[in-house]
Amino acid sequence: MNLELIDYLIIGIYFLFVVGIGFLLKRRIKTSNDFLMSNRSIPLWITSLAFISANLGAQEVLGMAANGAKYGLYTAHFYWLGAAFAMVFLGIYMMPFYYGSKARSVPEYLKLRFDEKTRTFNAITFAAMTVFSSGVSLYALAMLMQVILGWDFNVSIWAAAGIVLIYTYLGGLTSAVYNEVLQFFLIVLGIAPLVYLGLQQAGGWEGIVANVDDAKLHLWKGMDNAANNPMGVDAFGMIFGLGFVLAFGYWCTDFLVVQRAMISRNLNEAQRTPIIAAVPKILMPMIVILPGIIILALQTQSAAFDLPLTQNGEPNYNMVLPKLLEQLYPSGILGVGITALIASFMSGMAGNVTAFNTVWTFDIYQSHIKRNASEKHYLNVGKATTVVGILISIATAYVARGFNSIMDLLQLVFSFVNAPLFATFFLGMFWKRTTGHGAFWGLVSGTAAAAITHGLTVAEGKGGWIANLHTFYSGTGQAFNIAWIAFVVCFVVTVVVSLVTKPKHKEELIGLVYSLTPKQHDPAKRWYKNPLWLGIVVLIITVILNIIFY
Amino acid sequence: MNKILDLRFVIGVFFTIVGLLLLVYSLTSSGETSQSINQWCGIVFAAFGVFMIILSFMKDADDELTGTGH
Repeated sequence: MNLELIDYLIIGIYFLFVVGIGFLLKRRIKTSNDFLMSNRSIPLWITSLAFISANLGAQEVLGMAANGAKYGLYTAHFYWLGAAFAMVFLGIYMMPFYYGSKARSVPEYLKLRFDEKTRTFNAITFAAMTVFSSGVSLYALAMLMQVILGWDFNVSIWAAAGIVLIYTYLGGLTSAVYNEVLQFFLIVLGIAPLVYLGLQQAGGWEGIVANVDDAKLHLWKGMDNAANNPMGVDAFGMIFGLGFVLAFGYWCTDFLVVQRAMISRNLNEAQRTPIIAAVPKILMPMIVILPGIIILALQTQSAAFDLPLTQNGEPNYNMVLPKLLEQLYPSGILGVGITALIASFMSGMAGNVTAFNTVWTFDIYQSHIKRNASEKHYLNVGKATTVVGILISIATAYVARGFNSIMDLLQLVFSFVNAPLFATFFLGMFWKRTTGHGAFWGLVSGTAAAAITHGLTVAEGKGGWIANLHTFYSGTGQAFNIAWIAFVVCFVVTVVVSLVTKPKHKEELIGLVYSLTPKQHDPAKRWYKNPLWLGIVVLIITVILNIIFY
Repeated sequence: MNKILDLRFVIGVFFTIVGLLLLVYSLTSSGETSQSINQWCGIVFAAFGVFMIILSFMKDADDELTGTGH
């Protein structure tokens, strides 16, 4: 792919703007709260767009297009089943506790609700997970730039990391969030013309229906058995594994996204943030999944759209978007498309680094290393953590380059940690009898159950490192089933241990548990400012989409 | 100074510049398809940019990035 001066100019202007935003916001940063929590002063439209943009990283943009080609329309389950319901639940039921408890992070809520050990367990695993994810994002960006543009791997890594460092160091979380909003518009407006041009060349939706395997153009058809659909997942695994455990575990407990709602100006806006974010989220398949389906139709017209092969001789689905950019975009708009890809990587990296900062500073440093220090001290720690986080990300990117399998293993271990987390939060918020010991041992045993299930099952040649008791049709199916097993184990162990240990006094749980927290009523509230009504509208649209594309 | 801290203004300026660049490039580049794509994208980007700039002047300060914490 050859870029011309105009393309480099557009990339350069984008870099100038993201760094400029950091410099402009620098003067607003006076305390650690400003730097790490944006002083809870961000308007609703920004928190909502930042909420989904923090999730719109490289894995989302490149990965969902790849899944679109591999699994077809079934990939939309990650949005219409695996996002919308959980985002609405977060807004209506969980955000009042996160925001109302005045916790500065998700691990800090665990401290208030349970105890220090549960918070520390979550904080350490989350901090490690975010900083390594940031490194993987950086590695993927450098590899992509090397493959499609011929840029030097080292230059790509240091340039991208340097730019993210400048704007997060100067403007903290606010700068990251503002850039995420810019990146959101850039990704949508930069890729939307690609979808239009691809659809036009493929002969519209009729052309896709005529040229793409019908099995890839449905959401629920063939879900009675994992062998009957391209994703290799049955309805139970899909609904309980993805739709409930993984979706609620990610959207309701992952501080990376929840943090964007927690910096809202008031509780009502914090509640509406994920619900309003759900609207663009349910439309996102048009931008990120449709290209994967379009390329399948275009491949029947021209060999130019064939994907390069991996070392295993299979199509490299991660090249779907780069291939479409190469074939459909002329210079000029190509610069915008490439910038959109770079933006998605930087957005994912900055989101991880800022979440890492907050958790490290508040939940590990302030809690275990130095309590009661001055505001300025914690501000400096936050800034130093930004630099350290970026450096670890760079180191991780180099490790990933040399030992790709180690990174796969790390990602896998982190998925074990994430899977049972929703059970802990769900019981903590809705069952006042849940104890700190119950939560801690539930989390540990749920994580162990996830690892053991992976060790006893195989999918696409992975897993089965203890014994092969069952073979799944796909890695996705294996992941969904591991998730629900980990959830159930965590849930049961938490309940059993809680029943034999002493719970906190009711007075300590006000504002932290649903049944003990006074309900807020605002009769003057208009329907569009009411999270419940907004949530119902979002869910109706989601259900209609599921029916249309059955 | 307040205006350039308004995110709508910043986003508006960014897309206006990129849109105008695409428009100018479409006039100077060769190839009918290339010209047409860049021209239409340039118009849409610039229109979106101008819309965001106008929005930044119309809304009250409460919605601006410059607002202080509540």
